[in-house]
Order: sequence, then structure tokens, then C-alpha cells
Amino acid sequence: MQHIEWTEDLNTDIEVIDSQHHRIVEYINQLADISDSNDRDQVEKVLGELVDYTLSHFAFEESLMEDANYSFINGHKRVHQLFVKRVGDFQQRFKMGENITLELLAMLKSWLINHIRSDDNDYVKTVKANMGEINVTQGDGWLKRSVKKFFG
Amino acid sequence: MAYIEWKDDYATGINVIDGQHKRIIHYINQLGDAQNLNEPELIGEVLLNLIDYTLSHFAFEESLMEDAAYDAANIHIKTHDAFRDKIAAYKKRHEAGEDITNELYELLNIWLVNHIKDDDGSYVPVVKSNIPEINGPEKQGWLKSKIQGFFK
Repeated sequence: MQHIEWTEDLNTDIEVIDSQHHRIVEYINQLADISDSNDRDQVEKVLGELVDYTLSHFAFEESLMEDANYSFINGHKRVHQLFVKRVGDFQQRFKMGENITLELLAMLKSWLINHIRSDDNDYVKTVKANMGEINVTQGDGWLKRSVKKFFG
Repeated sequence: MAYIEWKDDYATGINVIDGQHKRIIHYINQLGDAQNLNEPELIGEVLLNLIDYTLSHFAFEESLMEDAAYDAANIHIKTHDAFRDKIAAYKKRHEAGEDITNELYELLNIWLVNHIKDDDGSYVPVVKSNIPEINGPEKQGWLKSKIQGFFK
């Protein structure tokens, strides 16, 4: 299955968010690499890592929005929840022995690209402005602490 | 198939919602293109994007209405539910190998425009009044700096 190629328009302009999105794309591409092999152990491992990392990313993103008092945070949270539920349904089906990889990959690709291009774009201005202020007053130690908090 | 063109009177004035509506229109038009090219794989891909994004958009919109305690939110959510059922039925038929593109295209074409103009028109004033920086982040920046100027 084809890899997701990173294109310029997927950059949000917030470095820490872009690098998290890159990482998610890497997981999806890893899943694409093993999708032909039908190796259930591998799929389970990568899927587990992908879910873990994505949950941390959502929590991180939501905390940036919260700190910046971004008005549409609940809308984003709701969309995140919807996504988590959908991936959870795939995990369930996988556990029941179904081969879900290709269907899941198609969903992940479409969702991620949609989400980054359209939804994330909206919070960037507000969050970026707020991050700028925090960096000035607290230095980038704040960012390091936030990343550590969510990603360990 | 004729393209749907964005018209000024579709604008709700809530940028994030307008962006989502534009993206849905973009997918509907892409679906028309894919149908003209008669490429089943491309049609499948666009369909997935379209369905997926529309469902996310509903979730986002519902959360805004709830946050603003919009009193007709339930009715609005019910029309979303009815539409979600329709979409699920189309998805099943597509997965079963049926060509549903024309039918879905027509439905979306009519439905989306009505949805934006009538249904969304009714929640917009309530949601808008609940959002402080409705005129965009610039205004919020202005407000923030005003507040900081006085309350440092």
C-alpha cells in the first residue's frame, strides 16, 4: 500500500505539532509496509503504538488550545473523540480476527489529511500567538515541560 | 455534473465552519470529477473522504451548539442523525459494489446547500454570540493586548 507523502500544505507552522504529525504519518506508513504481509503480531504492535502516540498528540494539542483560550476547543475535542472511537472499533474487529489493515489505512490517511488541512489550520493562529507570548515570558522550558508531560 | 460554487450567502461568518463547508463542497466536486473520469478506485477514495469529513463536521458543529446552549440543538442533531443513517446506507451499498455516486452526488448537492442556508443559519447567531473572538484571531489579539494593557 502506498505511503503518505508529506506535502507543504500539511505544515501548520507550529514546529512541535508538525513533528508530531510527521511521527503519526510514519506510523501509518509503517502499517502500510506490513499490510501485505498479514503478520498479525506486527500489525498489533504498530497499531498499538499508533493509537498510543495519537492519544498523546490529541491531549497535547488540546492543552495548547486550552492554554490559548481557543474558542472551538470542544469542537476539536469532539472530533478527536470520534476518531478515537473509530480506531477503537477497528481494534475490536482486529481482535476478533478480522483483517482490517487496508480499510483502516484508507481511513487513517483520509482522516489525518482532512484533519490537518482543514481543522488544525483554524487553531494555529490563536495557539501560535499564545505560544509566542509564553516563550517570551517563560522561555521554551514551558514547551519542553508540556511535551514531556504528554509523551513521557 | 455541474460544480457547486461557493456563494457569499453560504458564509455563516464563523470561519472554522465556513472552512469545513468549503471542504465538503470541494469533496462533492471531486466526486463529480472522479465519476466523469470513471475511475472506481478514485471514486472510492473521494467517497471515503467525503463521508468521513462530513461526519467530523457534524460532530464539530454539534459541540458548538451545545456549548452555546442553542435551544434547537436537539432538532438540529436529529437532522444530522437522519443524514448519518443515509450516509451509512450509501456506504454499505458502495461496499457491496453498487454504483451510488450519482445518487449520492445529487443528494449532497441539494442537502448541503439547504443545510448551510436553512439549518445552519438558525444556529449561527446563538453560537456567534457565545464566541468572544468571532471576528477572527486578530480581534482576539487586540482584545488580549487591551486587557493586558490595563490589568498587567
